Amino acid sequence: MAEILLSEAEKAFIHHGVQDDLRCDGRTRLDYRPIILETGLVSNASGSSRLRLANSDVLVGVKVELASPLSEKPLEGRLEFFVDCSANATPEFEGRGGEDLANEICRFLQMSYMSGDTINLAELSVLTGQQCWVLYVDILILECGGNLYDTVSLAVKSALYTTQIPSIKVATMDGDQPELELSEDPYDTKRLNTQNVPCLVTLMKIGNHYLVDPTPEEECCSSSGVVVAVSGTKKITAVRKIGSGSLHPESLVSMLKTASEVGTVVNKILMNKLLEEERAGKTQKVGFMR
Amino acid sequence: MDMLTSKIFLRKTKRGKVLKVVREHYLRDDLWCGSDLCKKCNQENSEVLDDAPISSSTLCACPHYVVVDTNVVLHQIDVLESPAWKNVIVLQTVLEETRKRSTNNFKKLKEIMATRKDSFYVFVNEHHKDTYVERKPGESANDRNDRAIRKACSWYQTHLEESQQGREKKKKVQIILLTQDFKNREQALKEGIPAYRVDEYVKSLKDFPDLQEKLAASHSDDNAENREPLFPEHWAPTRIMTGIKSGKLLQGIFHCSRENFLEGSVSVEGQDKSILLQGHASLNRAVDGDIVAVELLPEDKWTSPSGIVLEDQEDQDPGDQIEKEEALLTNSTKGKDLQPTGKIVGIIRRKWRQYCGILLPSVLAEGTRHLFVPAERKIPKIRIETRQAATLSSQKIIVAIDSWPRTSRYPLGHFVRALGNIGDKDTENEVLLLEHDVPHHSFPETVLACLPSMPWMISQEEVNCREDLRNLDICSVDPPGCTDIDDALHFRELSPNLYEIGVHIADVSHFVRPDTALDKEAANRGTTVYLVDRRIDMVPELLSSNLCSLRPDQERLAFSVIWEVTPNAEIKKTRFTKSVIRSRRAYTYAEAQCSIDDPLQQNELAKSLRGLNKLAKIMKKNRMEKGALQLSSPEIRFEVSTETNDPIDVISKPMLDTNSMVEEFMLLANISVAEHIFKHFPECAVLRRHPVPPESNFEPFLKAGKTQGFTLDVSSNKSLAASLDAAVKPDNVYMNTMLRILATRCMMQAVYFSSGTVAQVDFYHYGLAAPIYTHFTSPIRRYADLLVHRLLAVAISADVTYAELLDRKCVQQLCNNLNYRHKMSQYAQRSSVALHTHLFFRHRVQDEDAYVLSVRQNALQVLIPKYGLEGSIYLKEKDEDSKSAFIYNPDEPSQTCDNITIRTFDRIVVQVSLDSKYVQHQKIAVHLVQPQIAGLSVEPIKTVNVSEPTPKKLKSGN
Repeated sequence: MAEILLSEAEKAFIHHGVQDDLRCDGRTRLDYRPIILETGLVSNASGSSRLRLANSDVLVGVKVELASPLSEKPLEGRLEFFVDCSANATPEFEGRGGEDLANEICRFLQMSYMSGDTINLAELSVLTGQQCWVLYVDILILECGGNLYDTVSLAVKSALYTTQIPSIKVATMDGDQPELELSEDPYDTKRLNTQNVPCLVTLMKIGNHYLVDPTPEEECCSSSGVVVAVSGTKKITAVRKIGSGSLHPESLVSMLKTASEVGTVVNKILMNKLLEEERAGKTQKVGFMR
Repeated sequence: MDMLTSKIFLRKTKRGKVLKVVREHYLRDDLWCGSDLCKKCNQENSEVLDDAPISSSTLCACPHYVVVDTNVVLHQIDVLESPAWKNVIVLQTVLEETRKRSTNNFKKLKEIMATRKDSFYVFVNEHHKDTYVERKPGESANDRNDRAIRKACSWYQTHLEESQQGREKKKKVQIILLTQDFKNREQALKEGIPAYRVDEYVKSLKDFPDLQEKLAASHSDDNAENREPLFPEHWAPTRIMTGIKSGKLLQGIFHCSRENFLEGSVSVEGQDKSILLQGHASLNRAVDGDIVAVELLPEDKWTSPSGIVLEDQEDQDPGDQIEKEEALLTNSTKGKDLQPTGKIVGIIRRKWRQYCGILLPSVLAEGTRHLFVPAERKIPKIRIETRQAATLSSQKIIVAIDSWPRTSRYPLGHFVRALGNIGDKDTENEVLLLEHDVPHHSFPETVLACLPSMPWMISQEEVNCREDLRNLDICSVDPPGCTDIDDALHFRELSPNLYEIGVHIADVSHFVRPDTALDKEAANRGTTVYLVDRRIDMVPELLSSNLCSLRPDQERLAFSVIWEVTPNAEIKKTRFTKSVIRSRRAYTYAEAQCSIDDPLQQNELAKSLRGLNKLAKIMKKNRMEKGALQLSSPEIRFEVSTETNDPIDVISKPMLDTNSMVEEFMLLANISVAEHIFKHFPECAVLRRHPVPPESNFEPFLKAGKTQGFTLDVSSNKSLAASLDAAVKPDNVYMNTMLRILATRCMMQAVYFSSGTVAQVDFYHYGLAAPIYTHFTSPIRRYADLLVHRLLAVAISADVTYAELLDRKCVQQLCNNLNYRHKMSQYAQRSSVALHTHLFFRHRVQDEDAYVLSVRQNALQVLIPKYGLEGSIYLKEKDEDSKSAFIYNPDEPSQTCDNITIRTFDRIVVQVSLDSKYVQHQKIAVHLVQPQIAGLSVEPIKTVNVSEPTPKKLKSGN
């Protein structure tokens, strides 16, 4: 991630702010920065969203495709994540520079979606053992402004929420070839239940305190933290420690507890906003021309 | 107002992926209504729609413009052609829907609109900002289009209203919607748009009472949108496998009938009778050659092959619809000759390859979906997508099949490459080589590197380890123009009661050593293929026409078989040896015949030939007594013009004594060698067998014999030969030949095999009546002979062996390839002759004698001996009422019309010409000249219009 050069004095200032529960931008430790979300931007994709959290900017597209299911899970479809760190975000991503970060995010997303509670993959099955839907979730990171994990997870959830899976009218086998008939009505689609899809919450430890939604400067001041995947039912589906420093078991437990609470709230707010947007119906798309 | 919208739809790709397609759709505000009375639109004054139209309809007396719905165009297109129609608005929605549903009607509509520009106005409602409607959730495409049409109607209403506010109510122009769809009409009336059925409206037109007759029988609008699968589904492979194991299903190779595209058969291994399949559903997307699983129908549903000749000859693209097939198949005579009948439930292995053929001219040239017609009649048409139809339509192209979904009438494929222009001889040659899988690329460098360097001489060591036969008077006898001479003969008297005869075969195995690139190439090619104007060599030309060819007066290496025989052709001694020979002369058959017949010629060679000929005659007689068959198939050769390489004349090959003389000694050599190699290599000798045909094969032959009053005995080859000899009719000399041709068609294919894989009783060669047989005498052009040479060389300790030669599995594999190549090369040769016949008739129409080969329910199959050409005379056209009342008698079989009866083998006169109705798809057409039958036969033409002054003739070699 983009390295920020901070002097010792600046670091101390941030430290003290966190201690006093008043961060540089005026937030408390458990406050998020404002989020801008818009869905359905990419008309070619089956579902898409663009999410901007302060200066972090992410575009997610979901593409549905028919494939054969994995032999160990013949009754389920699957999700495939792919993260692309655009060199627009920071010059360091140029070439293969962003690959490590991309893989990291990718793997953690995969892990947090693995729990059966998050998403019902059986919904994606078309013909048992033969055909299923695979959702290719493509994440494009356009700008890095700290707290990338949270940004990405919120954007992915929104994109999955809007994903329209075409309905298949007839599914039979013709010899060893599956034969499917697609409904010719483009509106005849089904949607996934994304209620429980996890949100990632990053908690950074600065001094004796931890805070959510760190700015790049704050990330720079912290030596350790955790990323927690919290499902809509308040369940933690995956945890990952970040940074080089260590965490005391006690503070870890308390951080997890806080994360699951914050995660649930974020989840609920996001779902409400998505519902609100959907109810508003067709509105002029804003996109990047703002 | 947002002028940019997008159309979104889902599409399944060929590979089964689902694509979401988004098309940008721009709306405009500068599309005019086209009405003369309009004061708002900024249009020029050449409007189509009149200011004050005159209504001749009693249904709607006030002036009006007519908007037609898609279903009117689809079902009542003939009515629209009438000049009664004026002031018609055709919406873009209607145009596009018509185009999608019926290309034929679309084309007609376009024509109507082009010729009557002053009456039809196309309103591009889909792009007009006020009339564009977006599809709503849950709305079918049809409903959306109906809504778009109504929207356009009401827009016109309000739009025109504004311009004619001052008018009297009765003079105001109205918009009338004509639709056959009840729901649409209801809805339109509800929205205040006057709507009528087209038949209602047409009947109300008082000025055009005749128009009613053109109305098509009223169609209830059948929303034919939902595409029902046309074929039953295939079973899953596991289900098929268990079905085969339990014996419920049978596995076999599917053969499509050559004569009837709706009929096929499946030959199941170990079953005498093949299983009959009839109709689209039973054939279930099988393509000729596929290995399929068949379910037998209950016995009461068994039928017999229908006697009719049926071609899938739609000249137009019928779309994905299956025509009513009952009519095409019901004629099958029930009740006798029942054959096991079944239906295909699954395909075990596809044998799809690439096919040569042409594109069917499409109604809509700018479209991308076209039908491809393969050259091979047994292969169904293939639907391909291409944007270059215009350029490809005049070319022969190659197409590969990708899939055959249940909803598609034809298999789907893709364009592979173009070969060249239709009718070009080079293109057509290329096509037939490709069609028959003949490897015809030039020899690669690695192969050429295996050849000896020139100039080449026989070294002294080579001579030392061979028998020196250079002193003998050896000569060769071959067809004219032959450059690959692989056999030569000699004859000398040892004593008055003992002759020595020798057969000397080119020693190709000396040059083609095992396991070299040259050997592998030759093994793959398997045989030399002789086309009419071209020879595709098995080994490079340096070997085939020079070093191996036993040219006169040149020292050549040979493999010799030398017998000592008595004057009664009794063999006393046989020996085999590698040798060095020098042929004295290369005779043609005719020259050799001359030397024998001319008593003035008393040189050594002439004497030898006479001796050989005498012995050959005795040998042939002995062989015939043992039961060898003399069969016949029409053979012709072309005389080819040297300049254009086009055929200018056709002659049948003459049969001379010398032909059979050479043949006799080659047979003798082959049999002697076969015995010898089998003695030394009982496990891996390469032999050739000709299986005894099963009795059922002879059925058509026996039937044909019966019509002529002959009882033919087919219990053994000897009895068959005898009954063939007896079946002679003095008034129909060609009848016997015809019988022999028919008998040939009952035969099995002779095959190469490795002696270890077959029981010794099955070695029998049925046609030659020889207990054991092989091919030894043509190593230049057949790879099997080369293998036999190697085996024989090992047997006489003249060469060493190698592992593959002694492994019976390897040998059998080689044999399988050779059998395949041999079969294909024969087909290719036949096609080449057919192609040249075709070229020959390009400028000609000729009357020729012909004989009826078989009588079918709707056709006569005739053979024209002069060209070896077979053709069909259709007695009844498919769609027309029978032009001439032919009565078919299936028992005889015969066709009777008035007092003329045509039976099998009858001699008739036919007119042969090239049917160039379609430039793309020329074929030889045969018409009846005699006996004269009104309505069917054509006037005789006795002119032969050869326009080319070509005295220079070149005989094509064989």
